[in-house]
Amino acid sequence: MENKTIRDNLLKEVAPHLERTTPAALAWILFLLSIIGLGIFAFITQVTKGHIVTGMRDNVVWGIYIVNFIFFMGMSYAGAIISGTLQLFRTEWRKPIIRLAEYLAIISLLIGPGYILLCIGRLDRLYYLALFGRIQSPITWDVIAISTDIFGCLIFLYLSTLRDIANLRDFKELNLPRWRKKIYSILALGYEGTPEQEKRLKRATDIMAAMVIAIAIIVYSVLAWIFSVTLQPGWHSTIFGPYFVIAAIYSGTGVLIIAMWVFRKVYHLQQYITRKHFVAMGVLMVVLAALFGYFTFSDYLTKWYGSEKNDESLIKILFSQYYWPFIFSNYIGVLIPLIVVGIPKLRSITSITISALIVIVALWFNRYLIVIPTLESPYLPIQDSRPEWLNYSATWVEYSLTAAGVALFCLLYTLASKFIPVMNVSEMADVPGTDKTEGPFLTEESLL
Amino acid sequence: MEEKDKDKQKKSRREFLKKSLIAGVGVVTGSKLIAAYIDKSRLESGEKVKALTTHGEIIEVDKAHIHTPRVSIKESHKGIPGRKFVMVIDLAKCKNARKCVESCQKGHFLPKSQEFMKVYLLQDSEKSAPYWFPKPCFHCDNPLCVSVCPVGATYKRSDGIVLIDNERCIGCKFCMTGCPYSTRVFAWKKYPEFEGDKQPYSPEASSPGKEGTVSKCDFCPDLVRIGKLPYCAQNCPMGVIYFGDIDEDSVTNGAETLRFSELIRDRAGYRYLETLGTRPSVYYLPPVERQFPVDKGFNGLDKNVKNRYENTPYSKTHKL
Amino acid sequence: MKGFQKVSCFLLLVILDCFQIKVFSQEQKDSLADINTKISLLYLNTSNDTVVLTANLFVSRDQGPFALQNAEIEFTATAGKEIKLLGETKTDDQGNAVLKVHVKSGLPCDKDGKTVYLVKFNRKGKYLSSAESITAKLAKITVNFSKEDSLRFIKVNANQFESTGEIKPVTKEKVIVYIPRLFNLLKIGEIALDDNGEGRIDCPENLIGDSLGNITVIAKIEENDTFGNVQGQSSITWGIPKQYYLAEKPTRELWTPIAPIWMIVTLIIMLTGVWAHYLYAVSQLIKIKFARKKDLF
Repeated sequence: MENKTIRDNLLKEVAPHLERTTPAALAWILFLLSIIGLGIFAFITQVTKGHIVTGMRDNVVWGIYIVNFIFFMGMSYAGAIISGTLQLFRTEWRKPIIRLAEYLAIISLLIGPGYILLCIGRLDRLYYLALFGRIQSPITWDVIAISTDIFGCLIFLYLSTLRDIANLRDFKELNLPRWRKKIYSILALGYEGTPEQEKRLKRATDIMAAMVIAIAIIVYSVLAWIFSVTLQPGWHSTIFGPYFVIAAIYSGTGVLIIAMWVFRKVYHLQQYITRKHFVAMGVLMVVLAALFGYFTFSDYLTKWYGSEKNDESLIKILFSQYYWPFIFSNYIGVLIPLIVVGIPKLRSITSITISALIVIVALWFNRYLIVIPTLESPYLPIQDSRPEWLNYSATWVEYSLTAAGVALFCLLYTLASKFIPVMNVSEMADVPGTDKTEGPFLTEESLL
Repeated sequence: MEEKDKDKQKKSRREFLKKSLIAGVGVVTGSKLIAAYIDKSRLESGEKVKALTTHGEIIEVDKAHIHTPRVSIKESHKGIPGRKFVMVIDLAKCKNARKCVESCQKGHFLPKSQEFMKVYLLQDSEKSAPYWFPKPCFHCDNPLCVSVCPVGATYKRSDGIVLIDNERCIGCKFCMTGCPYSTRVFAWKKYPEFEGDKQPYSPEASSPGKEGTVSKCDFCPDLVRIGKLPYCAQNCPMGVIYFGDIDEDSVTNGAETLRFSELIRDRAGYRYLETLGTRPSVYYLPPVERQFPVDKGFNGLDKNVKNRYENTPYSKTHKL
Repeated sequence: MKGFQKVSCFLLLVILDCFQIKVFSQEQKDSLADINTKISLLYLNTSNDTVVLTANLFVSRDQGPFALQNAEIEFTATAGKEIKLLGETKTDDQGNAVLKVHVKSGLPCDKDGKTVYLVKFNRKGKYLSSAESITAKLAKITVNFSKEDSLRFIKVNANQFESTGEIKPVTKEKVIVYIPRLFNLLKIGEIALDDNGEGRIDCPENLIGDSLGNITVIAKIEENDTFGNVQGQSSITWGIPKQYYLAEKPTRELWTPIAPIWMIVTLIIMLTGVWAHYLYAVSQLIKIKFARKKDLF
């Protein structure tokens, strides 16, 4: 089924990414490592001096750590849902970009939980979660859900890269040290593309694609429930589960577009990742923008219209103290993609990428506005003479660790792209149309 | 100052000499025994006398600090049998004297930045009257903080008290967001005050505190076990805080003992934010026919403490 | 005068030092400034032929009273010239020294039947002596219950003991009726005694007793100039049996240690479903590896 010439040409195209590390790439990696180093220093400071070095206090007990947690986890679920859906529907244009979505799913899933650990006062007792876990606690649900998700995403990633690993093993022109070839050989599991192997691989991949979608929805809902099961005025909302899921996919779409843009530029993949892919992702982003806007509107409308005392004061804070972040995250962050991608004339790779960037930042602020203003306006008014007890503002420790998380994300993405090609070479080499009937859904047309 | 003290001493010494019939110098020797009676055949030992753990020195003990052995963590999971504790706070009598806050901090070896008992200046709406609102932990019968704890570090006992095991707590702070009353406090760093408590840790005493864990008002079961009222109830000069056993239908502020049901009926007692469904164990008596005007509460306050009421609705219409 | 006092104080201390090296060896670090102590005395006649004397020894500080622990307190009873040593006992960690005195052992009393009870702390080291006294006449209160038709009454009877041994009713005094509660006594009524030293009140209907409905009623004459504190008590099953708040068996709630069943079931179903699929996917991987081997051989 594979077209060998196409495949070998593609492999030749991506081989330099695996073989060489350019000085620029090296500098980039060193730069990331130095930011991570700063993060490690900040972490050590926090462990030795206590959480007093953060901006968190008795009212705002969770700060930007939890915002980052929601943010990274959201990206992960977006990656899982996008790659899973595209896989199941056998969407033709998925092939050059699906690997990026799979990377997104697993890499942000490895970083996200780190942020919730930073909120924990006694890391030395972390194993108590396993030892004394209570099923009633949403945190326990989250621990179970995230660890299940990590396994699921790893299996899915492995299944969908297996054919490429086998290709790399068999590609004789690849100029790599022996140990790396050995690793490919072990990881390839002796896959040779026999009909039976192919059938089994397809079946397993489809099942896991369906699973990662389901798990991503459940896991992100669980994360939303951590907030909505409490009685806090801004959190106690039934809509939070689906709202978070939509917001997650929305932000993840943005990150994926950025990743496409970056790898397209750095690895010169203009030939493969084209305007068509950007527009396809852009359309997906527009649909999600509309959904996200709808959920945001419903959530705040019901709070505002019913105007319970505490909801009202929360809305008041959002429209006074947090006016610009609120406008930016919930208006601009929705309208920009709607306009840019919605009007065909405005669609271009650059415009879509810029609006994706805006979406990502807006969504980060959206989470900030969900977490912090709520904690700043509890049922009983905060009466304290210390300003840091009244209002939250993150310290250098928190910012450093946030930067370190982003740096680690970029580093892992870079390293992953150096190990397994960022494009799904084997699928791209498949003869178009041959696998359509084998998918679980009979879709004749792709999204575009 | 010293002169004055000496004068006082002399005066009281003279008074004491007048009073005493026999003047003499006694010897107090070190002994582990407590009740050493002269005629044992005729006299029973006093039943209230407790065994001593010290070894013979005369020791000055703060009246409020009772050094009876604390119960273990395992023991602290069981409630005091046959009891269900309740607190009634009479808002009509509170004038923000802050003795509840201070005695509680002292009793639990808390740093100044940590308050288990907090006194709020509340005003429910623009035209309604402001009032002082002392707020301990409500020890809810449907405690969300306990529900959300991932490791069972906080638990509700059979006597209704919600405690925290600081040896178990992992410091995730979920309970702090779960509590709608902002009751729980976190040890953001290692406080030197924690070192002041030399006794072994017990959840019943919430002391010594532990860095990176959550703590809160505990209804002082260590005091209750020996028949004493919690620090706040003991030390309130106005008798604002009543404490007792709801199943026994009785509460006391030390000076007067009342029937809980009658007190709640006659004074229209209520629970704060009843709509939330947490079912608190703390009842409030509305601030009617008050004994003090609200601004009495600002008398003699620390500047730091006074500042915290600066952003209240009250401060917008009145000068603090 | 001042100088003389200082000198005498010093001499006294020197003398003390000679006699009580033991004592001071324990307190070498302390300054030798004298500290005034205070003692309070509580008198309670329990009508059980017993008088309970509670002395509390403390020093006043700016922060409030500090109890003195392990100090020896001397109890005596006097009347006129007659002095009787009742006993000595040490203060506990709250500064309390308690002594129970049997009335039948014979207490000295004056012609009005009054006895002076005296407690004394003798100077020890820097802690100066202090003393306190209370005068009281022996009396006795008995509590009885009676039921007339559907009405229930608590009846109180009070008598006093004259120096002659004669027993007379206590008249015109106020008796307060209590039931004991966890921390304190709960007042349920007041009785003014009649000429026979008797009185009664209705027993309230809705008193909560122990788990069997037993209530204890305490009748008390309080801080009386003649009798001091006198109390009598008696028990009856007129109370409402106390309902225990929680069953011994733990329930399945969100906040209890064990989770509600539906939660466990949901979790098991979901986890089984997911992990079964994982295992299937992994088994396919294993079969892929196996399939290749078959080709080779």
